[in-house]
Amino acid sequence: MSELERTLLRRLRDRDERAFRELVEAHRDRVFNITYRMLGNRAEAEDVAQEVFIAVFKTIDTFREESKFSTWLYRVTVNHCKNRIKYLARRHDRDRDELDEMSPGANAATNGAPARAPQPDRALEGAQMEQLLQDAIANLDDDHRVVVVLRDVEDLSIEEICEITGLPDGTVKSRLHRARLALRKKLQRHVEEPRPARTPKGAPTGSERSKEDR
Amino acid sequence: MTTAEETPVDDEIISTLSDYLDGALAADRRADVEHKLATDSEWKRAHTELRETRDALSGLQKARAPDSFTQDVTATIHKRSAGRFFARRTFGDRVPFSALLVVAVLALVVIGYVMWSSQTGSLKVDPRARPAPTGSAVAPKP
Repeated sequence: MSELERTLLRRLRDRDERAFRELVEAHRDRVFNITYRMLGNRAEAEDVAQEVFIAVFKTIDTFREESKFSTWLYRVTVNHCKNRIKYLARRHDRDRDELDEMSPGANAATNGAPARAPQPDRALEGAQMEQLLQDAIANLDDDHRVVVVLRDVEDLSIEEICEITGLPDGTVKSRLHRARLALRKKLQRHVEEPRPARTPKGAPTGSERSKEDR
Repeated sequence: MTTAEETPVDDEIISTLSDYLDGALAADRRADVEHKLATDSEWKRAHTELRETRDALSGLQKARAPDSFTQDVTATIHKRSAGRFFARRTFGDRVPFSALLVVAVLALVVIGYVMWSSQTGSLKVDPRARPAPTGSAVAPKP
């Protein structure tokens, strides 16, 4: 840890507002990028990123300087993202249950995601590829999503990811392999065949839901 | 992105190639993989796809926080803490809960002791316990 960082931390512990602003300025984009890639939604990402910095500020006294500050910051970020993912999943399930109760069979295509028209052009580039990748990442479970975002999007080392997640080296690597494999399969499927509509992970398609409703 | 109509690639190959792309393989193992890549079409295809996936991920645009982000976080802290976190107060930045706890415990101990040693069992003084001055109690005059 550099002397500059130590000084900043000391000022933070003294509740120096200017130090807090400096800290946020230095890390905001990276934290926001992680939250955005983890959550796939700008508003949620911004909210969680804010909560991360507030939590960091509130708990700065518990940071023991045994690891890099950024490692500790990313650990807080990842934990906040995982909590939000769980919260959103619970809310999504509850909303879906309520919708099911209100209008059984009528909401086959309204599972929180807009229906997407078939892609006539199979050359997925630029914004399309971006969206496709974001969707593919969002469909990974959170344990796999964390490692792939930290490694392949944020370009952190396996050692850093181990420190952030508290997982052993082997577990991080195996999750990374599985995540890449899953992403590869998802992207491959998109390239090979256009989908008529998008449904969230685990949600039955329109025809499946119709069968269930019968 | 490579289109693939071939059979799915073994997970074990993906795992090895994943390590290969991360530079996590020992030299002999790496040479072995490079040989496979040069001779085995299945390995080559999987490598291309995996590398493309990884490159696509690392090429994702870096999402930037809104311009007002720092101001928003600071304002939120001010709002939630009513200025307690940043502003200096008469008694310091934070309420000294630990010191208050020690004082409270000491006060309870003292009150408890007084009550325990009191004849009335409370903090009130028993007026009967105070001996009334009697004649015998008066010291005889010499």
